[in-house]
Amino acid sequence: MDPHTVVVIGAGPAGLTAAYELAKLQRRAIVLEKQDRVGGLARTENYKGFCFDIGGHRFFTKVEEVNQMWRALLGQDFLRRPRLSRIYYNRRFFYYPLRPLNAVIGLGLLRSLLIVLSYVRWQLFPHRREETFEQWVTNRFGKRLFQTFFKTYTEKVWGISCSDLRAEWAAQRIRGLSLKTALLSMFLKPKQTIKTLIEEFHYPRLGPGMMWRAVKDEIERRDCAVRLNCEVAAIRRNGNRIESVVVSNNGHDEIVQGSAFISSMPLGEFLKKLDPPPPPRVIEAAKQLRYRDLIVVCLIVKKPNLFPDNWIYVHDPEVRVGRIQNYKNWSPDMVPDPAKTSLGLEYFCTQGDDLWNTPDADFVELGKREIGRIGVADATDIEDGCVVRVPNAYPVYDTDYRRHLATVREFVDGLENFQTVGRNGLHRYNNQDHAMLTGMLAVRNLVLGEHNDLWSVNTEPDYHEEALVEESAIEEALARVFTKLDRLAFGLSLGAVSGALLFVATLWLVLKGGEVVGPNLRLLNQYFPGYSVSLWGSVIGLVYGFLSGFIGGWLFAFLRNATMFLYMVRAERKAQRGLLRRIFDYL
Amino acid sequence: MADEDKRLEQIILTRLVRLNAKIQGLVTGLAAGLLIFIATNWLVLKGGRQVGPHLSLLGQFFVGYRVTFLGSLIGFAYAFVCGFIVGYSVAWMYNWIADLKEVKN
Repeated sequence: MDPHTVVVIGAGPAGLTAAYELAKLQRRAIVLEKQDRVGGLARTENYKGFCFDIGGHRFFTKVEEVNQMWRALLGQDFLRRPRLSRIYYNRRFFYYPLRPLNAVIGLGLLRSLLIVLSYVRWQLFPHRREETFEQWVTNRFGKRLFQTFFKTYTEKVWGISCSDLRAEWAAQRIRGLSLKTALLSMFLKPKQTIKTLIEEFHYPRLGPGMMWRAVKDEIERRDCAVRLNCEVAAIRRNGNRIESVVVSNNGHDEIVQGSAFISSMPLGEFLKKLDPPPPPRVIEAAKQLRYRDLIVVCLIVKKPNLFPDNWIYVHDPEVRVGRIQNYKNWSPDMVPDPAKTSLGLEYFCTQGDDLWNTPDADFVELGKREIGRIGVADATDIEDGCVVRVPNAYPVYDTDYRRHLATVREFVDGLENFQTVGRNGLHRYNNQDHAMLTGMLAVRNLVLGEHNDLWSVNTEPDYHEEALVEESAIEEALARVFTKLDRLAFGLSLGAVSGALLFVATLWLVLKGGEVVGPNLRLLNQYFPGYSVSLWGSVIGLVYGFLSGFIGGWLFAFLRNATMFLYMVRAERKAQRGLLRRIFDYL
Repeated sequence: MADEDKRLEQIILTRLVRLNAKIQGLVTGLAAGLLIFIATNWLVLKGGRQVGPHLSLLGQFFVGYRVTFLGSLIGFAYAFVCGFIVGYSVAWMYNWIADLKEVKN
């Protein structure tokens, strides 16, 4: 084994992208994956020729390098697909994004009216402190809308009450609601982008796994290796340097050495495998990082068409399924037989809970029952099914995760030749494209000596060097427009200039002299008692001019600041209304 | 809330806007000049036995100014200069006080 090899642990989007970038730069890389296929959380499962996506991966990104990679590797297989998704609630279907008339018909007039009244009530008297997700949503949409459309689905996804979920999570995840975006949207009106995002998306012809198989082939074509069924059993270190990993493959242990290591495995798992282990407080902190797990029940239905949606959000509390994918509508080639349809029923759970412990056969039966109950397919039409369990699918942002993550990060950052990437490697709810970007940036750090902070890669491309320039320029421009006009400073300056003006004007007339000095300017004494067009009057005029200028300037600055504030509030409110149209994409 | 959004809020809430003295001078000058120009010509066009007896009092300060078309051009020039001085002075003084306040804070 070449000791200069870069060892990449995990063949998910982040790990494979890192290996692909290394291969392009003609560096030796070896990827170790414990599963029998590549793709990680973005893999495509195959059951009797039917392709199943784990969670539904729309290919949409603002990161140009990622976009280029997708297009380069998929070519003609990178399809542009129409999007339709609905919400199932209270035994009815609602279009998503919500359409007002459809929502009113579905909810009924009385309920719709109560939602509007509740919205008004919470706009007038909001929660003073927004600490929980429930308070955060209620303040923006009202209590009734929260209970109708947010509560059950969010609790299904996260498994904890909305009153225990941090408001910070919503604000962090839903970046479209930032003040900056809101203000920019008032100027730029990016309607086309939003419309496109809502109505269309890109998708590989055979699911996201197709993309990752193409990446694997490309890596191997460039003399690097992707080894499947290789579970990392231990990671050996010497002080702050990782020296090798012990890989377990079909009962045989093998030592893989490398000069640098990139890992996308969950942080807790990584720390547990370190030899010698990290300090106990770091392990303890890693144990506190929680994940939400996912079970996908794949059903094959003997019907050519079931419903037009790509997926349906199931808010109804009467069934436990959270989302239903119709893979044929993602790409017709996901189904080998046009006379049949394949569905993916997503159950959000936590390892060890009753759902996770349900045997596969019972799960398929549960899926059949719930599909029948919702009414999208008849249970008797379901000819076969399988179950895919996905542990650690979503990192949970609970009350203390930041504190624990900081402890773990401090230790991991101290490892000299190691970088952690990807959703679980960073315990960050990143999408596929952002996970890929962490892989790209890790390679740039390693090969080009850059200092990209992988932990700050988030849901917007503001960590891009190019984008950073643009972002800071935008920020600077916004700051210039919206910063406060200081009332005192403006009052004093206007007062001083007004006073000086009246002083000079009076003095000018006094010096000019004449039979009657300044008969018209003298009329000012109607407002300024004691003022006259004389030497002494010019001094009094100076004082009056200063006072009236000060009051005028102060008031102008006050009104200007208030108007700016109202404008910003309006921008935020408008952004919030827009958010309602697409919030479930972020959850 | 995202860090960069907090940063923007922080800037908006704590920083004071600075005025561009030259631009403010130009804008004030142009506004004052146009005001005199239009007001004078309006009275000229209206005509009458005695044209603009009150506005012509500006001649006390703007030597050579009259309520005529030529006077409107002279008035524009005077008002522009005065407006520029006023606008520039207000902005310059405002920035100076704002700097003092920010340094103090």
